[in-house]
Amino acid sequence: MDEKLLIVGINHRTAPVAVRERLAYGDGEILATLLRLKDRAPTLAESALISTCNRVEIVGVAADSARAIDEATSFLAADREVDAALFAGALYRFEGRDAVHHLFRVGASLDSMVVGEPQILGQLKLSYGYAAEAGTAGLVLHRAFHRAFSVAKRVRKATLIGRGSVSVSSAAVRLAGQIFDTLSDKTVMLMGAGQMAELTARQLHALGAETLLVTSRTFDHAVALARALGGTAVPFESHRPYLKIADIVIGSLSAARPVLESENFEAVLRERRYRPIFLIDLGVPRNFDERLNTMENVYLYDIDDLGAVVTESVGERAREADKAETIVADALASFMRWMDGLDLVPAIKDIRVSIEQLRDTELGRHRAWLAALEPAERQRIEGLTRTLVNKLLHRILAGLRSTGAGSSDPAYTAELARRLLCGELAPEGSVLGGTAANLDFEMDLDSGDDEES
Amino acid sequence: MDTIWLPPALVCYALSAAGFVAGRAANRPRWTDQAVPLLGAAVLFHTLDLVIGALKAGNIPVTNFAQSLSFLAWLTAIVSFVLISRMRMQVLGAFVAPGVLAAVGSAMLLTRRGRLVIPDSLRSAWLPVHVTLAFLGDALFVVAAGVSLAYLVYESRLKAKRPMTPVGQTMPSLEKLDRINYRLLGWGFVMLSLAIVSGALWAEATWGHFWSWEPQESWSLITWLLYAALLESRVAAGWRGRRAAALTLAAFTVLLGSFLSVSLLFPGKHGGSFG
Repeated sequence: MDEKLLIVGINHRTAPVAVRERLAYGDGEILATLLRLKDRAPTLAESALISTCNRVEIVGVAADSARAIDEATSFLAADREVDAALFAGALYRFEGRDAVHHLFRVGASLDSMVVGEPQILGQLKLSYGYAAEAGTAGLVLHRAFHRAFSVAKRVRKATLIGRGSVSVSSAAVRLAGQIFDTLSDKTVMLMGAGQMAELTARQLHALGAETLLVTSRTFDHAVALARALGGTAVPFESHRPYLKIADIVIGSLSAARPVLESENFEAVLRERRYRPIFLIDLGVPRNFDERLNTMENVYLYDIDDLGAVVTESVGERAREADKAETIVADALASFMRWMDGLDLVPAIKDIRVSIEQLRDTELGRHRAWLAALEPAERQRIEGLTRTLVNKLLHRILAGLRSTGAGSSDPAYTAELARRLLCGELAPEGSVLGGTAANLDFEMDLDSGDDEES
Repeated sequence: MDTIWLPPALVCYALSAAGFVAGRAANRPRWTDQAVPLLGAAVLFHTLDLVIGALKAGNIPVTNFAQSLSFLAWLTAIVSFVLISRMRMQVLGAFVAPGVLAAVGSAMLLTRRGRLVIPDSLRSAWLPVHVTLAFLGDALFVVAAGVSLAYLVYESRLKAKRPMTPVGQTMPSLEKLDRINYRLLGWGFVMLSLAIVSGALWAEATWGHFWSWEPQESWSLITWLLYAALLESRVAAGWRGRRAAALTLAAFTVLLGSFLSVSLLFPGKHGGSFG
């Protein structure tokens, strides 16, 4: 089987986003692109296109993988109107086993920027869907992608690779879940602005925190941000009374000195009747006095503390990634066995057809004699020959399969078997070498088997 | 008076406790999951033991220290099982199951001592009512103490910025633990109140006086006052979270002292051997 899986592309490790964005395709473009690819890269028997924020890859199947890869590369350059030299350095090529390995790893999120991220599976399914729709996915890609999906699912189920919080905002949200049973009756107060802070506030709000208060030194900013996040603006000068009802306070102000001090916080706690309060300090310099953490029912996490949670989770995921690699390796081995088996399938088909033809031919040559027999006797002869053929085939095919599985070049086995059992000459350029002229033997189908009655 | 059902109960308690503790310590959620039905099985066996024992003896099986311990452990196990299975508080298992195991184990070891028959003066319909209420009140406090202990352990980890649980394990939030502690204390208080009242009414009916300042009665009163103070502090001054948990544990030690001392040191009408 000379058809191989191949992958050519760039990812976040090999190319910066400035390069990736030049080659990227939107979801809506993929279908048309695949059809164009089919035209411009005829060597590709099957193809699919993966384009995400982490990678742009062409996944294909071809007999001449080297030429196919070149065609795919030129296609990308031409189609995106980008100089090939721009991404030549970032381009990676995988063939055969390596390509399958890469595909499975990608699906299991082991090649993602954030290992264990859940989006890649959906993105892969989308790519496969487009390839199926475009008709550019065939036997091998169908199987390869489906295998990749099941590997991804197994990895997520059997390892903890997707657990833990790998971003500051999700770490903060998770901690909130460890302190509070439900967010629906809690109030979040956002002091200041900033990407991380706003993301955290947004996530908390989305998870059910009903009330969101936004305050900032510039009231107009607070109003604008409140509107964007779906909250209420509070003037900075009067933020203090709101601490009574704010269960989660996110600090993201640029302030030289802490905004919340521990000295007069006891009064706030008493007013809150010691209901727990979660202070998320994302400011540098810090917005909240660190001694607040020692106070009862106050939980203060600053940016470093959250960073430590993230590092811990990332480390955990890396450990889980090892388990995931084992799962991927298993799936890879069984997929490659399947691909090897492909060689034998056409050979087995040909062998079966050929031998059954043999029987038909012989029965045909004795047609007249058979017709003269009693029906029961005729049927017996037909049954006998059929059984003989089937048993012979069974033995041959079983032997073939077990040999093919163990041999280092199943394609050779298939060719040899076809030669031996079909009486055909191997086509030129086959693995058995030699030209038609050298293959001198004749199979004498007429010798010594007739019994004329 | 052990029936054949107590040893299997003990075995199941042991396996369950092992599953809970090891599941937490070694980060194997599956062991914790399996420990829950084991606890249920243990409760089932234990129930059979108590019911059959009661039928044989003709009275509720709390005539000596060992039986009281077993009865208390049984009620504690039931309350824990309900909490763990209905409110998804598997974490509680690691804190309560070992105690239950110790109690049942001790009960089996001690069962030879003490009388097995209720003196005539105490035979009454009041007996099962008063005793069950009292022990249920105790059991609820035991579980509340377990919840408080869990709270303190996890709260201190959160304060120290250490991960609260290993990745992949869940646990109820601090707020939930706190709220359940409150509910358990509330119900325990109600049960203890009813137990004291029923005891007083029974004493009146049997001996003509409501209260006689027996050691058990005095201790119960002190315990009752402690829990009243605990609940009041939460309701009125909003004492919750860490101090509520710490106070619950403190009050629990008083309760423990009362149970053990009355049963072992100060025999009276409530005395360990009912003598």
